[in-house]
Amino acid sequence: MPNIIACFKWVVDEAYIRRGSSGQLDFSTVDYKISNYDRNAIEEAARLRDALGGSAVGVTVGAPEATKGIKDALSRGTDTAYFVADPSFSTLDPGQTAAVLADVIRNKIQQYDLIICGEGTSDFYTQQVGPRLAENLGIPCISFVQKISVEGQQLTAERKVEDGIEVVSVTLPAVVTVLPEINIPKIPGVKDTLMASKKPSVTVKKDELSPVPEARIQAISLEAAKLERNCEKFTADAADITRFVASLRKAGVVG
Amino acid sequence: MELLNIGGQLASKTGTGISVLTVRPRDKAEEYAQFGADEIMLLAPLAAGQSLDAYIPVIADEAKAKDPDLILVSATAKGKDLAARLAARLDAGMCSSCQTINFDEGSKKFIMERLAYGGAGIQKITCTTRPAMATIPPKTFEAAAPAQKGSGNIRELPVPGPSAVKILEKKVREREAKDITEARVIACVGRGVDKKEDISLVRQLAEALDGDIGCTRPIAEELHWLSEEFCIGISASEVKPDLYIGVGVSGQVQHVTGVRNAKIIAAINKDENAPIFDVADLGIIGDLYDVVPKLIAELKK
Repeated sequence: MPNIIACFKWVVDEAYIRRGSSGQLDFSTVDYKISNYDRNAIEEAARLRDALGGSAVGVTVGAPEATKGIKDALSRGTDTAYFVADPSFSTLDPGQTAAVLADVIRNKIQQYDLIICGEGTSDFYTQQVGPRLAENLGIPCISFVQKISVEGQQLTAERKVEDGIEVVSVTLPAVVTVLPEINIPKIPGVKDTLMASKKPSVTVKKDELSPVPEARIQAISLEAAKLERNCEKFTADAADITRFVASLRKAGVVG
Repeated sequence: MELLNIGGQLASKTGTGISVLTVRPRDKAEEYAQFGADEIMLLAPLAAGQSLDAYIPVIADEAKAKDPDLILVSATAKGKDLAARLAARLDAGMCSSCQTINFDEGSKKFIMERLAYGGAGIQKITCTTRPAMATIPPKTFEAAAPAQKGSGNIRELPVPGPSAVKILEKKVREREAKDITEARVIACVGRGVDKKEDISLVRQLAEALDGDIGCTRPIAEELHWLSEEFCIGISASEVKPDLYIGVGVSGQVQHVTGVRNAKIIAAINKDENAPIFDVADLGIIGDLYDVVPKLIAELKK
């Protein structure tokens, strides 16, 4: 029976980010969430655990404030969750995140057959952590997967590429990164939340880990994207519809 | 060819050369020299069932031996996976889905820009490692033009060993529609459209505009009303039509980032506070079921 790990990240919900007056990103009213595709990763880990037995373990690396994410992951179906927490972990680059994850998985969780990650996180969407984690652990990786089945130590997956689908197989252990198409994550109910509060979680501190490698990426700046448009408004009145179509013709985009 | 263009420009600024790594057969690969390539490295063709990950050790060995300043990889599904694994193996920093890249003479570093937070932010970064790496989405840069001929030495790389991942079957997707990234006009179906049958209304609008239809992620992924090839957004297709018109599209950042290069962005939505109006040139505040038929009639005048 497989031990399945779902990696997830607690991120800013980008829907609440505003553009500040001087072109900066305004995070003053933001809320946080488990990154969208990581919810698919957790759902898939729970689904496979239900089908095959074994265990589903959640693991996240982040600042201590991300503790809400642990409760969320447990209520979404993992049996336990590992929280690798340090104030400095909110700004790790993908290589550092993968290194910390590999360390925790190898030395703390130890038993693993399948590691599932979202194909990218909704904050920086570098799409690097899954493949880098596989490389750090020295195991195969299948990215952009929309379907998984496991039989014994053999995993078969459908991965989506530009010109279609490849059906591929690999011997476990392996890392798989999943697309949102793979499942519809359930929304935790009251019962799930209550059950989650009874599940165990493990907090791992920075000093229990190997030294975190130097950053390979240096951030220079982060600004709000400019999507400056005219923002001319029209009503549904006949005269306005005529004016709207005239504007399209004037812009030369309609014949 | 696009990577060869930007890579060649950067190589001339850094005073180095450019090498191309390709799986194309020797006779096809020779043409890279006409476009400025100094060296062309040929990867051996993969055996049946062998997956692209077989190349990782071969490319990593080559990169360690050649010690390049910069490695550029196309940001396709396979390219992104391969590049991230290579970056880990080379212990290199990498800019994913890089939008701009410049060489800074002062710091002797490549300064790269990419999108963050679903397109709400633009992040400027540099790699602290050598090599620096970047994946570049198709159509970000122009294709290379015939240039002063590079020396174009062709070199065959060692045959890769077996891959851990085995390909059992390839299912080539048959396109239901023409490539949406080529559309001149796009009428986009959003969640404001009540039911699947009503897509025909948007389709009629697209026809009146001599264009095609597209859709937002929920329409394709949650409701399955249209297939994914119609889906527009930062993690689906990014488009650059002359005219984009969102029909019942609220304007989530991931979606509007995918249309940011449209010449004109128009929107129809009954919610005057819908975020799409902040990024549209022209917006009609009204019920799409009222507005769209009127619009079609006006366009036919």
